[in-house]
Amino acid sequence: MSDLLIVAGMALVTYATRYTMIAALGSRPALGDDEAGPSVFRRWLRYVPPAVLAALIVPPVLAPEGRIELGTPVWATIVGALVAWRTRSALWTILSGMVAFWILRTLGG
Amino acid sequence: MSKFRRGFLAALPLVPGVIAFGLLYGMMARQVGFGPWGACAMSLAVHAGSAQFTALGMWEASEAIPIVLTTLVVNLRHLLMGASIAPYLEGLSPLWKALLALWMSDESYALAIAEYQRGPGNRWYFFGANVGIYVAWGFSGLMGALLGTAVPDPERYGLELVFPLGFLGLLTTFLEDRLGVVVAVASGALALAGAFLLPGKWYVIAAGLLGSGLGAVLEELRTRSNEDE
Repeated sequence: MSDLLIVAGMALVTYATRYTMIAALGSRPALGDDEAGPSVFRRWLRYVPPAVLAALIVPPVLAPEGRIELGTPVWATIVGALVAWRTRSALWTILSGMVAFWILRTLGG
Repeated sequence: MSKFRRGFLAALPLVPGVIAFGLLYGMMARQVGFGPWGACAMSLAVHAGSAQFTALGMWEASEAIPIVLTTLVVNLRHLLMGASIAPYLEGLSPLWKALLALWMSDESYALAIAEYQRGPGNRWYFFGANVGIYVAWGFSGLMGALLGTAVPDPERYGLELVFPLGFLGLLTTFLEDRLGVVVAVASGALALAGAFLLPGKWYVIAAGLLGSGLGAVLEELRTRSNEDE
C-alpha cells in the first residue's frame, strides 16, 4: 500500500512539473507580446531547447562519475558530433557513436 | 501520412536507447522488490526515467517524502521545457494541453519543438512522438522486470551513451544560427560546472536557465546594434 502511495506521489509531482507551465503560459497575454513583436520572455524561451539538450549531453559524457574523464565515451561522442553535424539525424548519430565506442574499446582492450 | 504517424515515426530512432534503459530499470526494480507489473505500473504512471532510477536507489528505505521530493527536483527541468513549448500550444483546449503534458518526455519534447520551430509543428505530431516514447518505456520496463537478472549488465555495452548521442542528433536542429551554437556551447560548459557544484540534477535547470538567458541577451544586443547601423 505504501509503495502504491509513493508511486502515486511521484506521478503527481512529475505531472505537475510537466503541466504547470503549459497551463500557465499557453495563451498570448501571459507571454507579454505587444505590437513590436515577441517579448523578451518569448525570445528567452526560444533558446531553452539547445540549452537543455546541451546540459543533458555534456556532464554524462565528460564526467560520468563526477570527475572529468577523457575516456572512450568522449572520443565516441566526438565521432557522433561530426556525424550529427553532417547528417542532422539522431539515428545516424547514435549508430556512429556506438560503433565508434565499440571499436575504440575493442582496440583499447 | 498522418501527422500522428509522422511524430510516432520520428521517435523511432530514439526507441532503442529508451528500451535499453527500460530493460535496465525493470531489472533494478525487481532487485528492490517490485513485481513485473508493479515495475511497469511505475513506468506508465510516472514516465520519467532518471527520476525512476533515483527513486529505486532510495526505495529500500521506503520513505515516501524524500522519494517524492527527489522526484520533483529531478523533474524540475520540465518547467523550463513546458514554458518553452507552451507558446506553440496556444489555442488548444485545456484537455489537449493536459494530454500533451502527460507524456512529454525529453525526447518527444525536443522532436516536437523542433518541428514547431521549423513551421509544420502540430499537436498530433507532438502526441505521436509522446506515444512512441511512452509505449517503448512502459513495455521495456515490463520486459526488464520479467527478464530479471537473465541479462548481463547493460552498462558493459556502453548503452549509457545512447542518450547523449540521441540528444546530440536532436540538438543540431537548434543550431541554425550562430547564437544557437553559442548557447549550446555555453550551456554545456555551465552544466559541467554545475554537475560539480550542485547536488543531483540541478545542473540541468541551472544551465538551461542561464544558457537560454544568455541567448536572449545576445539576441537583444544583436538587434540593437543592427538598429544603430
